[in-house]
Amino acid sequence: MKKWMLVLLSVLTIALIGCGNGENSGNGENDSTPAPTKGVTGSENKNNGKTEPAGYVFEYEGTKIWMDMDASLVVNALGEPDKYFEAPSCAFEGLDKKYTYGSIEIDTYEIDGKDYVSCVYFRDDLVNTPEGICLYMTMEDMVNAYGNGYKEEFGMYVYEKDGMKLKFLVKDNEITSIEYVSTVLDAQ
Amino acid sequence: MGKKKKILTALVITVVVIGSLWLLQRLLVPKYMTGIVEGAMIAEYYEEEKDHDVIFIGDCEVYENFIPAVLWEEYGIHSFIRGSAQQLIWQSYYLLEETLKYETPEVVVFNILSMKYNTPQKEAYNRMTIDGMKWSASKIGSIKASMTKDEQFLDYVFPILRYHTRITELNRDDFKYLFHRDKVTFNGYYMRVDVKPAEDVPTGRPLADYTFGETAYEYLDKITAICKEKGVQLVLIKAPSLYPYWYDEWEVQMEEYAKKHNLVYINFLELIEECGLDFSTDTYDAGLHLNLSGAQKASKWFGKFLVENCGLTSRRGDEKLEVLWKDKLAAYEAEIKRQTEAVSKE
Repeated sequence: MKKWMLVLLSVLTIALIGCGNGENSGNGENDSTPAPTKGVTGSENKNNGKTEPAGYVFEYEGTKIWMDMDASLVVNALGEPDKYFEAPSCAFEGLDKKYTYGSIEIDTYEIDGKDYVSCVYFRDDLVNTPEGICLYMTMEDMVNAYGNGYKEEFGMYVYEKDGMKLKFLVKDNEITSIEYVSTVLDAQ
Repeated sequence: MGKKKKILTALVITVVVIGSLWLLQRLLVPKYMTGIVEGAMIAEYYEEEKDHDVIFIGDCEVYENFIPAVLWEEYGIHSFIRGSAQQLIWQSYYLLEETLKYETPEVVVFNILSMKYNTPQKEAYNRMTIDGMKWSASKIGSIKASMTKDEQFLDYVFPILRYHTRITELNRDDFKYLFHRDKVTFNGYYMRVDVKPAEDVPTGRPLADYTFGETAYEYLDKITAICKEKGVQLVLIKAPSLYPYWYDEWEVQMEEYAKKHNLVYINFLELIEECGLDFSTDTYDAGLHLNLSGAQKASKWFGKFLVENCGLTSRRGDEKLEVLWKDKLAAYEAEIKRQTEAVSKE
């Protein structure tokens, strides 16, 4: 009888703490439940907010902007945006926010009530990357500035660095879109 | 100890172990009864009388934008929405496949926003759609099609494997709803009466490739085929949600698909004025979803369309349905009153 009790206890113990053990459960990044959690859309992502510049860093009106940095630092520095839009995700708490400042749009995502930069998008050719590339320049200009270490698909040239991506969309040898993008939201 | 007694003891212990695990599993799975209720939507269908004229299938763009209660009140159309948050097209297909085993509606309405996704997206959304399904070949198909690379099939079979860490996060709902759930929708419709005007809605950023993916088309083909096989009229719609952005290049593909397969396709974004929608008052989240006022307008327009173009006739006067809808309408009206009062106090 004692053996059976031992088996019972073992099974219950395994069910409670042993199974999964974080290796086969969830998104591989952590072991949180897939139940909705506060923050970014359906996210169980780690908050990998970056306090120091990482990857390709953009600069706008004297403010350095890098992916996954605390968005409040940027918003405080740049002041009132020209436009602001916030999108609550279906079902999940938290807002994805879009700020428009002159020639750029800045997107943010939210984790545990704090906003982080997820994207900087160029709206026109009045702004350029610190490496000197702006909209409507050529692919040769891009390669001269950033080299050949890109991945290309359907005309989108992607340079990946320190967990972020710098994307150039090239049509007819002309850069038609430039985006700095965090990889935190890649799985969404 | 005699052999019989040993067998009996083993049997009792086995039952106790399995029973305990079952109970523990019920305790640990998310209940979705407060806050994020979208995970409770899919299961509500099983309690319904399965004799619907119209079944809506899709994501939040159906369950927040169309109201079965309005279709019944205005046109005598008996309908239900099988939708959940970010419901991907393969999940919609398997839900439809399952639904058509229970009943054969006159019309199936499918919202095509999910064509933009060609690969599994997010486990949390998968769970909210799939966990509520009863076990069937359709559920298995949906799990297999939906799993992200880090998910395990066994975790869906035994949710305790996935949710065991919730043991430290249990709340009152986990005990209150251990053996039952309250309804969170009105025939699949998720109600919001508050208003947040749509302002500065972003336009779409250029994409490298606008072509919908092969997998998305594969499941749209399956939806089309199963409807044809069952003699159900399929109506494709793009709901009147202003965001996420609906690209012209996507619109062309859907129009061509509908034409090729002889399907009705309605883009409500082109009918905003005709429906009488005003995005300064008819949305609760700045244009992503309609509020009650907006959904009532869209539903009235659509009900008229279904009657005039899909051969639906009013079933008002059907004794069984009248009784059924009397209670449903009472609950629907009570929720309007409750939410309206709550909003007015804010």
